[in-house]
Amino acid sequence: MKRKGKGVPLGSFLERVVAFVDERVGLKTLQAKMLNEPIPGGSRWAYVFGSCLLFIFIMQAVTGVLLMFYYIPSADHAYASTQFIIHEVDYGWFILSYHFWGSSAMVVMVFAHMSQVFLWGAYKTPREMIWLIGLGLFGIVMAFGFTGYLLPWDQRAYWATTVGVEIMDKTPIVGDFLARSLKGGPTPGQMTLSRFFVIHVMILPAALMGLAGLHLFLFRSAGPAGPFRGTPEELKAKTDFFFPRQVWKDIVAMATVFMTICALAFIEPVQLLEQATPDPGDYHPEPEWYFLFLFQMLRWKIFSGEFGQFVAATAIPGAFMLLLAALPFFDRSPERNIFKRPVALLSWTVVMLGILVLTVSAILNREFLD
Amino acid sequence: MSHPATAISSVKLAWALSWAAFWTGFPFKVIVALLLLAAQVHPWEGAGLIALLAVSVPIDIWALGLTARTFFLERMGIEVRGPVGVGLWWQGAALGAGMMGIAYYTVGAVAAVCQKAAAATFVAVKKIIPVPIAEQITIELLMWAVPATVAIIVFLLIWLKLFGWRIKRFAVASGQTSSASLQERVREWDNWRVPADSVLMLVSFTGVAVLLTVVFWVLLPVTTPHPHEDYPLPKLAAPKKPVKPEELLKKTETTLVKAEAVLESLEADKAKEKKKPAGKGK
Repeated sequence: MKRKGKGVPLGSFLERVVAFVDERVGLKTLQAKMLNEPIPGGSRWAYVFGSCLLFIFIMQAVTGVLLMFYYIPSADHAYASTQFIIHEVDYGWFILSYHFWGSSAMVVMVFAHMSQVFLWGAYKTPREMIWLIGLGLFGIVMAFGFTGYLLPWDQRAYWATTVGVEIMDKTPIVGDFLARSLKGGPTPGQMTLSRFFVIHVMILPAALMGLAGLHLFLFRSAGPAGPFRGTPEELKAKTDFFFPRQVWKDIVAMATVFMTICALAFIEPVQLLEQATPDPGDYHPEPEWYFLFLFQMLRWKIFSGEFGQFVAATAIPGAFMLLLAALPFFDRSPERNIFKRPVALLSWTVVMLGILVLTVSAILNREFLD
Repeated sequence: MSHPATAISSVKLAWALSWAAFWTGFPFKVIVALLLLAAQVHPWEGAGLIALLAVSVPIDIWALGLTARTFFLERMGIEVRGPVGVGLWWQGAALGAGMMGIAYYTVGAVAAVCQKAAAATFVAVKKIIPVPIAEQITIELLMWAVPATVAIIVFLLIWLKLFGWRIKRFAVASGQTSSASLQERVREWDNWRVPADSVLMLVSFTGVAVLLTVVFWVLLPVTTPHPHEDYPLPKLAAPKKPVKPEELLKKTETTLVKAEAVLESLEADKAKEKKKPAGKGK
């Protein structure tokens, strides 16, 4: 065999490098395990949401690290450093806008992924643990959005956090403790910013990586659920491997998501309002768009007063999350076809339409107040 | 024996083809839209819109042809000779254009009438019982959005029905079964769509992605193309001329030397005046 430097072809050199690494870490076994996963019923576009979520998270991590090179998490400098990122740093406006829209894309994708799993009945035995870990990941994604929203330290950020913490305060027993722990004082200030920053860049990413790893491990252990239609024989006949068809679909979906986020960053880039102050002035405080439905519900007369606010802000969302967590344990029917599960289909439709109608109502209400 | 195309409903057929074709073509259109945006050309107006439409038409024809061939073969077991995309696309586009025109005015009218009715209802109701504003907004929204949505769905169903009917006619006129087994034909078509050399496919895809990324970053504006109108970044005052200590010291020393020389000459003049005899001229 020719030695390197004496005309060894590049392909042969790469093969030797791969063989060297493979001998030590089992690269080919790992590759085979990752790519040769059998998918019952073959590849589907419906299965791309999980991969897209992972992709969005990686991009959020990359853009987040780039932003941290310039961002200063202090009440005195957070606003100015964000302005500096937008106006002075090369491509800073784009990186920040991508990060902003990426967070919204993550929430949308979590909803899409959870909806797909729910409608496909993929939470049923033996995938209960995957579903529960997925609910935890959903909570982490929402927490990411909530903590990240404060960091630019403008009026929108300040008041969205104030409203969010007030909603949290309605939780009985632990609400006051949680709200005070997050704020670090009677009103949002330096302590709040520091705590939100640490939670956003250290605690939540670590939690998400851990839970996402567990989620994937459990998913690979149980295997994909496959389509809800077709006999076991038909599904077996159509079974395909993860590579290349599902990989191709995932790549196309990720590229589409990436380009859509880029397009949104261009069309509506991040623009700061005035620097945060405890006086809202003309600004009408409201949370991020994905909490607007809850915010609008809190405006209803029926939910006015201490008890009403508790019901709308804590009891209903809490009960809903508990219901979702308990779902695989009381829905023991092996039937997965959504068209043969009318209660599930109706519930999903009502919840989605309810969120949509309340979110649009909140936007109309904002226009009315303005 | 009836033709396989007649066994499926027109709405389902049109939905299956148009939904798949939309998502097949969408990524390519987004690439074009993104490059236009990076070049600061709005793809929703003027030259940008024309460029996007010019690219979208061939993409849609290709996507519709691809999905239609796949659907015909895998679900109906028929092959279609000749161009499929063009034949179906112009019919779908013509029907869509007509339907969109009618739907635009009808849905707008339905929404406007329902909004007026909702507002009038609340004026009447509020005379009897007070209605909080948050509840009023949601109920009013439902009162006009539900009929408008129903109208949109009706128009969509009419378009799907008509387009499905045209697709069926096309399939009956151009489709034919072959002597080869269905399994073989599906595999043949599948192999044509997914190259046997997957690595080559991935390398090509990566190459195109890298090229597009380079073009994107070249076009991308370095500073924000959207400065905020209400909250402009305060302009900093122009920096003062930088102080150079060595030059300043030299300049000061020179000034002091000059001042010293002036002082000495003044003192010398004064001394001369004093030396003059006091009684001269007396």
